[in-house]
Amino acid sequence: MFLKDYISDVVNGVSSLLKGMRKTGYYFTHSKEIITEQYPDNRATLKLADRFKGEVVMPHDENNEHTCTGCTACELACPNGTIKIITKFDITPEGKKKKAIDAFIYRLEMCTLCNLCITACPSDAIKMLPNFEHSVFDRSKLTKILNKPGSKIKEGIE
Amino acid sequence: MNISSILFYAISALILGAGVLAVTSVKIFRAAIWLLFSLIGIAALYFWMQVEFIAAIQIVVYVGGIVVLIIFSIFLTQNSGKEMNSPTMGKKIFSAMAALFGIAFVGNLIAQYEGFAYPSAKPFDPNVAEIGTQMLSTTSHGFILPFEVVSMLLLAAMVGCIVIAMRPKNDTENISLNNNETK
Amino acid sequence: MLSLENITKTTQDWLLTKFSPTMALTIECVIVILLSITLFALLGLVLVLLERKVAARIQIRLGPNRVGPGGIFQTAADTLKLIMKEGLTPDKADKFLFNLAPFVVMMVAMLLLAPIAFAKNFQIWDINIGVLYISSISSLSVIGILMAGWASNNKYSLLGAMRSGAQIVSYELSAGFAVLTIVVLTGSLQISDIIASQENGWWLFKGHIPVIIAFVLYIIAVTAETNRAPFDLAEAESELTAGFHTEYSGMKFALFFLAEYINIFIVCAIGATLFLGGWMPLHIGHWESFNHIMDYIPSSLWFMGKTFFLIFVIMWFRWTFPRLRVDHLLNLEWKYLLPISLFNLLLVTVIAIMGWHF
Repeated sequence: MFLKDYISDVVNGVSSLLKGMRKTGYYFTHSKEIITEQYPDNRATLKLADRFKGEVVMPHDENNEHTCTGCTACELACPNGTIKIITKFDITPEGKKKKAIDAFIYRLEMCTLCNLCITACPSDAIKMLPNFEHSVFDRSKLTKILNKPGSKIKEGIE
Repeated sequence: MNISSILFYAISALILGAGVLAVTSVKIFRAAIWLLFSLIGIAALYFWMQVEFIAAIQIVVYVGGIVVLIIFSIFLTQNSGKEMNSPTMGKKIFSAMAALFGIAFVGNLIAQYEGFAYPSAKPFDPNVAEIGTQMLSTTSHGFILPFEVVSMLLLAAMVGCIVIAMRPKNDTENISLNNNETK
Repeated sequence: MLSLENITKTTQDWLLTKFSPTMALTIECVIVILLSITLFALLGLVLVLLERKVAARIQIRLGPNRVGPGGIFQTAADTLKLIMKEGLTPDKADKFLFNLAPFVVMMVAMLLLAPIAFAKNFQIWDINIGVLYISSISSLSVIGILMAGWASNNKYSLLGAMRSGAQIVSYELSAGFAVLTIVVLTGSLQISDIIASQENGWWLFKGHIPVIIAFVLYIIAVTAETNRAPFDLAEAESELTAGFHTEYSGMKFALFFLAEYINIFIVCAIGATLFLGGWMPLHIGHWESFNHIMDYIPSSLWFMGKTFFLIFVIMWFRWTFPRLRVDHLLNLEWKYLLPISLFNLLLVTVIAIMGWHF
């Protein structure tokens, strides 16, 4: 009985080790499994994951219009004060005052890329870009104004 | 003075020098290392005499076995890194006399046979098969009886080791019970 | 035909015509020393690169690929870096032993090179107790490690050295028994005799299952003896920082590193010699034509091919298996490997006496 256990121990041990070696041997002989990205060389063909979050941007359409109403929901949602929205009042053609953004200030150096601002935005004005090449020579360049100069809010967005 | 004798004197100098350092060193680990070099020197002397089997056995038994054992016991001893006090005068005189007596005794033994003749190279040719046959032969110059006695001694030593290392049975039960409780 | 055997013979003849026999012998010794040091340096460079490449491929990575085409000069660059680094000696270390230890380790590795047959009649010293010489000298390698561990005056080093000592002393036994199986079958300790006995087939194929078991035991035991993963408890990074070479830097560290790879090469060369026929080409019984075709491949290539195959297997182990715990390590040796190898030796002895092997 003892001998039987002993032999089955040895056989089980060896077979499980061989199983492991089969897996690594498979990887060794199959070079197409290699997942290394040779980054600076393959910049043109670089594939990033779909949900990769790199930087908050505000998309503008061809008329230089965005959909940000200046509601500051994103500013409130941000856990570490990355976003600061400065609002102004535009005069509409009807003579009414209308709230609009003057500057959407985004500090990339403080951003943790947590995505809370994106989910908080009621009008889908901002989104995340899969972009990770953020290094610059001056830290002040990381403080960005997301709305383009002369841009205005799209018609029909309240 | 040919290369062979130069080698002989170099090896002898290594053995004696390392031996002197082994007994005079105040650090116990260094003493063990010097002893090791001295024993390696003796193995080298065997190689020089072209009795390779004895040389290899010298290394396996003394260097690989005994010195490693000594080093392990030094490792497991407390405060073994400290320098030892230099011995008292009486001890020094006593050890010097013991060494002198040893030299005189060995010298006397050598003088009874050939004296300090120049060691001639390759006086005998013991190959491994002959050593093996001799070791297990039952004829008048065979070593089967000492061999078996030594193996009995080793067996007894091993059984003793196992008994010392074994935990008493009720102890293990207690421990397993405790383990179950904690689980 | 240009072979290593002819080169050595021509060199010796030429030296004997130019110099007196003593002088010729001295010059030959110097040449051998230079050649073996060159071999060491080359092996260090090649094996470290090979290890990194194998590790990368097994872990689905690319490995070093920046220095030179495919990264082949990576280890040369690393060596250059190590040469330029300062070799620090800790203040409270035993300075003499601390500096001596790397050289002891290297010297042992160099001594082990002597009886290895690299090609047909190309061997430094065909000593008549070849295999015993190897097992006796390899028992010395633990000394350098113990010395390094003690002299560093560091608890991690000391623990690493003690673990490594316990490990080497215990695994030496089953490695020795695995070697003995071949000695029993051959009836000789001499390396050239052992290779000659495999002329009609390697022992791995001739000796039935017991020799295959012995081969597996040998590979496991020498992996442990060279302190390689999964048996690298002596330098377990996650527990002991770097074990016995924690305090070493610069070239002194490089010597330890080099010695590890040289030792791997040597144990694999010995394994190839004992079980896979050394430089002997693949011969199958009495298939004369097949044997003749195999003879066209140079013997040095056969030797290197087998050795590097075994080195690859050991690297494969390293990058597949997790590290053993220290009590499991000793259990494996004393409760599994040793009884199995004893029983196996008995089987092989029966086979050898009855003449059941091919």
